[in-house]
Amino acid sequence: MDHREEIRKFLNELLLQKGDKQPFADDTSLLLDGRLASVDAVDIVVFLEEKFGMDFAELDFDPTLIDSVDAIDALLQAAKKITPSFS
Amino acid sequence: MLSTQVATTSDAFPSRIPSWLKNFRIIPRIETYPVINKLAKTAVGKALILALFALGLRFAMTEWLPLSLGLAVITFLPVRRRILLTILTLVFTFAVPWVKWPHPLYTAALLVFVIAIGGMLFLLVMALPRSWIGRHPVFILLSGYSLLIVFAAYFPNDTHWYLTVWDFTATLGAYLWFIAYSLLDCRATGRDNLTLQLGTYRPFWGSPTTPFVKGSGYLRRIEAQDPGQLAVTQLKGLKLLAWSLLIMLFAKYYSQCVHGFLAIPTFTDAFFHSVSRAPYPWYTCWASLITEFLDSMLAVSVIGHRIVACCRMAGFNALRNTYRPLSSRTIAEFWNRYYFYFKELLVDFFFYPVFLKYFKTRKKLRIVVATFAAAGFGNAFYHYVFYLDYISQLGLWRSLAAFHVYIFYCTVLATAICISQTRKRGPKASGFFRGRVVPAFCVALFYCLLNIFNYTERTYPITEHFRFLAHLFNLTT
Repeated sequence: MDHREEIRKFLNELLLQKGDKQPFADDTSLLLDGRLASVDAVDIVVFLEEKFGMDFAELDFDPTLIDSVDAIDALLQAAKKITPSFS
Repeated sequence: MLSTQVATTSDAFPSRIPSWLKNFRIIPRIETYPVINKLAKTAVGKALILALFALGLRFAMTEWLPLSLGLAVITFLPVRRRILLTILTLVFTFAVPWVKWPHPLYTAALLVFVIAIGGMLFLLVMALPRSWIGRHPVFILLSGYSLLIVFAAYFPNDTHWYLTVWDFTATLGAYLWFIAYSLLDCRATGRDNLTLQLGTYRPFWGSPTTPFVKGSGYLRRIEAQDPGQLAVTQLKGLKLLAWSLLIMLFAKYYSQCVHGFLAIPTFTDAFFHSVSRAPYPWYTCWASLITEFLDSMLAVSVIGHRIVACCRMAGFNALRNTYRPLSSRTIAEFWNRYYFYFKELLVDFFFYPVFLKYFKTRKKLRIVVATFAAAGFGNAFYHYVFYLDYISQLGLWRSLAAFHVYIFYCTVLATAICISQTRKRGPKASGFFRGRVVPAFCVALFYCLLNIFNYTERTYPITEHFRFLAHLFNLTT
């Protein structure tokens, strides 16, 4: 399973837990449009830290960085460029 | 941003309810009607929306005319929206209230000084991003403001500078969180320059000390990008103002009914009787506590809806401040739904900085610590520095000691939110009653009881609050 698919699956599970069964595209805003809440942002951060070894303390964190599948993927790509050893 | 403001209607109603009732809305979703949407994109349609909005504002506030004119200017010049926001904000900061100020030059000088401090801090952080100040701008701002309060508290009160020091402290306090949001934006990609940041220093659509609607970074993300988005945003703004007016009307008759016709005392009255050892019967106290809880929710909704409606009319599709708080099924969810922008402030300035840096290998502990930093410490800090009158009258330590009731409130709230966020949930209860009504009732009951301690005045000790709580269960003699 590639990065995007894993992210998509995780976000879908988060939405389902909240009873949100509406479909979402890769560019659908989830946090800014209110489909996910602060506590879900926390879950996304933990997921990215555990799954991809992201270190948010090193980033200037902004919730828009994890607002959609596209945004998260872009964040992962950027982190790879900055840190060559990034998993 | 982080809210649960999209109605998840799939399990919101029992399946037996017919679809027309499920989709019924007191105010229809006019932004989805193609004819109205098309009209809203035209100059005539915009003028019509603005006229209706101005008419609504007339019932809601005294300064409806300048605000409506400001909204008209920003509506018809959308490509200059952000710079107009700055100009209008400065006009509403200085020119509009000028005649109401008893000492206009003095007040204006204080405001200029405070805004200049905010601007200089912003430029300093931009110029020195790798320095200590560049890496911890909000921490320095809040620490500096705390030191200013200490300075003011110990400033000799027999000098003619005494009042000026307190006036300056109060003015800076009014701008504190707005400046903090602009400093937070310094590190964002595509950040706005200082001129545009000034538009977010108490924007012209009105804002309490909690920034409505956050800072420049948020405005960039929610700004309407084309005429279609602007039309939808303005129609939603018009709807929200209508909501605000309806709730205001309801609140008026509700208050007359419960406190007049039903003769239920206000919470303040019931509490005072309890302190005076002549309490109302326990069931009357319950009634006053519940009506107070509903009263405060209505009041927050009216003001929040009106401000967000104005923001939407200006072309920024901001989320509501209050959204169906009584439908919350968890304590954390209620906090999110009741006062969204205050929760956002605490999350942005206290929760994330702690959560992202500390205890990264221990998930539960980091959530607990970050939640206490936000709902506990951040909440108490915000309210302690907000009420400067008590500090100037009682002094620093006495006012802090007398603040113990609110500190207790924050501690209980933070603990409850921690439990709500970290506990493992069993399978979701099914059915409308067990799945929705029971959890929503329990959450509302918790906040209703906690409201006994939501007390920022410094008059009565915590024992009186516990006495009132005990009396609710008929446990006092």
